[in-house]
Amino acid sequence: MNDIAPAPFQKAAPDVSKALRGFIADVGPTVALSLESCVHCGQCAEACQFYVQTGDPRYTPIHKIELFKQTYNREMGPFSFAYKFFGLAPKLTQETLTEWQDLVYDSCNMCGRCSLICPMGIDIADLVEQTRHGMYEAGLAPSDFLGALAEKEHATGSPFGLTSEKFRDLLHEIGATHGVTMHVDEPTAEIVPTISSIDVKTYPGSMAAIAKILNHIGKPWSFRTDGFDADNVSLTAGDRAGQAAITQAIVSAVTACGAKILVMPECGHSFTEMRWEAANAHGKDLPFRVLQITELVAESIQSGAIRVNKISQTATYHDACQLSRRGGATAAPRVILAALGVDVRELEDAGDANWCCGGGGGVALIKRAQPLRDAAFAIKKKQIEASGAAIVYTSCSGCRQTLDHGGKAAGWNTSVGSLLELVADNLAARAAA
Amino acid sequence: MTLLSFARGPGMQVATLILIAGMFWRLSGILLLRRRVAHAAARNPFAVRLLGGAVTIFTRAIPRRTFWPRVGAGVVLNYVFHIGLFIVLFGGAPHILIIHEIFGVAWPDLPKGVIVVASGITLAALILLLVRRLCHPVLKMLSKPDDYISWLIVFMPIFTGILLSGETVAGYGALLAWHILSIEALMIWLPFGKLMHVALVFAGRGMLGYNFSRKGAAT
Amino acid sequence: MAVDETLGEMLARRGFSRRGLLKFAIVMTSSLALPPGMAAAMAENLAAARRQSVIWLSFQECTGCLETLLRTSSPTIAALIFDFISLDYQEALMAASGSAAELTLRQAVAANKGKYLLAIDGSVPVADGGVYSLTGGKANVSMLQEFAPDAAAILAIGTCAAYGGIPKAFPNPTGAVGVEDVISDKPIVNIPGCPPIPEVLSGVLVYFVSFGRLPDLDERKRPLAYFGTTIHDQCYRRPFYDQGKFAKSFDDEGARQGWCLFELGCKGPTTHNACASLKWNDGVSFPIESGHGCLGCSEPDFWDQDGGFYTSLAGGKGPGWRDAGIAAAVGITGGAAAAFGARHKTTRPDVETPE
Repeated sequence: MNDIAPAPFQKAAPDVSKALRGFIADVGPTVALSLESCVHCGQCAEACQFYVQTGDPRYTPIHKIELFKQTYNREMGPFSFAYKFFGLAPKLTQETLTEWQDLVYDSCNMCGRCSLICPMGIDIADLVEQTRHGMYEAGLAPSDFLGALAEKEHATGSPFGLTSEKFRDLLHEIGATHGVTMHVDEPTAEIVPTISSIDVKTYPGSMAAIAKILNHIGKPWSFRTDGFDADNVSLTAGDRAGQAAITQAIVSAVTACGAKILVMPECGHSFTEMRWEAANAHGKDLPFRVLQITELVAESIQSGAIRVNKISQTATYHDACQLSRRGGATAAPRVILAALGVDVRELEDAGDANWCCGGGGGVALIKRAQPLRDAAFAIKKKQIEASGAAIVYTSCSGCRQTLDHGGKAAGWNTSVGSLLELVADNLAARAAA
Repeated sequence: MTLLSFARGPGMQVATLILIAGMFWRLSGILLLRRRVAHAAARNPFAVRLLGGAVTIFTRAIPRRTFWPRVGAGVVLNYVFHIGLFIVLFGGAPHILIIHEIFGVAWPDLPKGVIVVASGITLAALILLLVRRLCHPVLKMLSKPDDYISWLIVFMPIFTGILLSGETVAGYGALLAWHILSIEALMIWLPFGKLMHVALVFAGRGMLGYNFSRKGAAT
Repeated sequence: MAVDETLGEMLARRGFSRRGLLKFAIVMTSSLALPPGMAAAMAENLAAARRQSVIWLSFQECTGCLETLLRTSSPTIAALIFDFISLDYQEALMAASGSAAELTLRQAVAANKGKYLLAIDGSVPVADGGVYSLTGGKANVSMLQEFAPDAAAILAIGTCAAYGGIPKAFPNPTGAVGVEDVISDKPIVNIPGCPPIPEVLSGVLVYFVSFGRLPDLDERKRPLAYFGTTIHDQCYRRPFYDQGKFAKSFDDEGARQGWCLFELGCKGPTTHNACASLKWNDGVSFPIESGHGCLGCSEPDFWDQDGGFYTSLAGGKGPGWRDAGIAAAVGITGGAAAAFGARHKTTRPDVETPE
């Protein structure tokens, strides 16, 4: 097949045996149970934005992990000997791996709506994450741009190659521009914030906003240039080693200054990584708490550490899948919006059953996935327009960027805002102590 | 040895032993894989997680309201089949007799008329499910030989059971033999195909409920 | 009685009218499920027929079959049928004994070579050369092999002769088998039952005498007319089965109401016989009518059936708890081996997985 010749999306013919080892490396009881349980009921398709919008059965979520399942059945399952002996599950081939590339990457946001509907309790989104491990090992992460960014991240610690020195300069520059006191590389700190590389590229104001909020809280805090970029493109690309390297850098940085809280930026997958996966790579529970910025703000509002001004505004809120449905932080943004006195017009299916913006799971970083992304975004677009709100807030720079681009393309007058920046702009003046 | 005495004797014994060994084989083969310990600080204490797992076993039985417009028809059809099968299986007098024979527990049986109607509805639902599987693009694509074998292997006991209750096409002895043999086929196939969901559904939902409760996420 | 006398002449001599013979033929055609129009032909044929020679050999048996056949309460027409035959040898009934009896047998066989009906009751023990049942020092199996070739047909009377019956029940020390297991090149009619219904034997004999051939048989060589349906099909309690009304014990309200005995182990549904229609003791009753489930006595291996007489047909004989435990242990061991094999694979990523 001509398809397996190096295409713009991959560097060379896929390495089948690396894919195989990548698939089986992390199979434990939970994953095995998921791979064993499917009854082919097809409900997951109806929860998936890509199937719902295109009607193409290939986008059925459980079908996307078919190669992983076949490999499991041949190599790891309780009856693997029979699967192998009778050839009941096909062997991995370069052809099938290539054929599945777009299913595993382009058409999955790892949003987990399928995991929410599955009557068998299969966490399909997690299986996709595992599948990407094997695909990445085989060299099948779409190189334009997801794979390339992951590679760079693995090599330099930042997908855009942002060095510690440049980051230090950038922070000071932002501090000066916005008139905010920046704490960088303090020897000790109680709170350490991190950033997402999207912030650096597109939303530098969010770094000023974090600084403002942390200054407001008043506890010692500091950025760390030895571990700042939480983005973790590696996770969405499926590069397990890169993922662990990024994570370990941040864990070391936070531990080095004795901080008690690691603050995750407005970003979805990086939260999933640091909050739920990092401790596993670390081998034990982390010596600090991991809070997404909305969680920290909500907590601080409730404890009185943050006071905000009431604003009169009608807005809606877009949940980032990794923060709400997958991360368990659905309530925090609502607490903040309520404290701000914002009249929230919730979107249809808001909260745990929300639809992805279309860019999650690294899909925003795959150039050729644009049409699919747009198809998925159409759902969000319709919902936001139906809400009648003049502005949609979100707490994930990835989502924000997708909403920005989509809105611009649709000629919206609905604006897109960061919840973090909204809070930073409406902090109540502190009475001098 | 007549077909019936084979079905009631050696056939039943072999099928039961395969069923038991196969189910334990599959479950232990899954559960004894290397466990990946979750180290991250849980949002909920152990008891709550456990409760979350238990609750999810029930809550996952019904899709969230938002999914209904798209999956409702299939879910209802599947429920008609499953409930019908449940009624026939646990309400039919001969079935209760067997349960009593094996486990020593019994309960009042349902009138034969109810069983006849239920089994008819069950069979009709099963046929519609097959039609759906053959027509729906997603199901058609997902379906493997296992799906069709499992369908047939569930169809046969219901079908022979209905024939047996009417005793129309053959004598009671022959129909009973075929009914029992078809059930034995089901018992033998169950551990190896998707019918294993009779056990895996609880394990799967419980595991997901537990893991997601750990994250404080929606189950 | 002259052997060349026709039955019609004999009956006339005894004051039995042609009209009586026709009535008898009508009853027999209906019992044999023949078209009513055949009654006249049967009566005519019977009148013209000569007495049929029957040689009756008793093997490993209890004489219950013979007792039943003889103890029809009064000399009814059905009992008279035995006048239609010439029972040339029957150890229990004949006056002769010892070598005189043996001589009778030889003479009867010689006189009716190729024409006699060979009636057998009792099973045929074949273990150890058949030494477990001998007549005049001769094994039953040898006698059967000796007299079968010259018979017109063989009637296996009772479950023992037909299928081996109780002697064949586990552990079957004598190696008992049915006639059909020994003789394969002769027409055989099985008339099973423990004991069989006398009217069935009458019917078969009348048919053979009138038409000169055996009645239609089913795949188990049983006369279809009597064994074509099950007890269950003809049972007067059948409506209760259809309604799902079952007696749960022999003294509960259901039993008093005469409900179906299925749950108490009745084997009616799997038993082919005419008890429910012909009944016993001249049509007085049959076991189910007397409040007890059918034992299935006319079916092969009825003594060894799983669960015994009081276990419902719904049941079966599954493995014991011990075997189930062993199966579970095997399963867990196999699954564990597979799981640890799989673990090993993941810890040795350098090892190529075998193809």
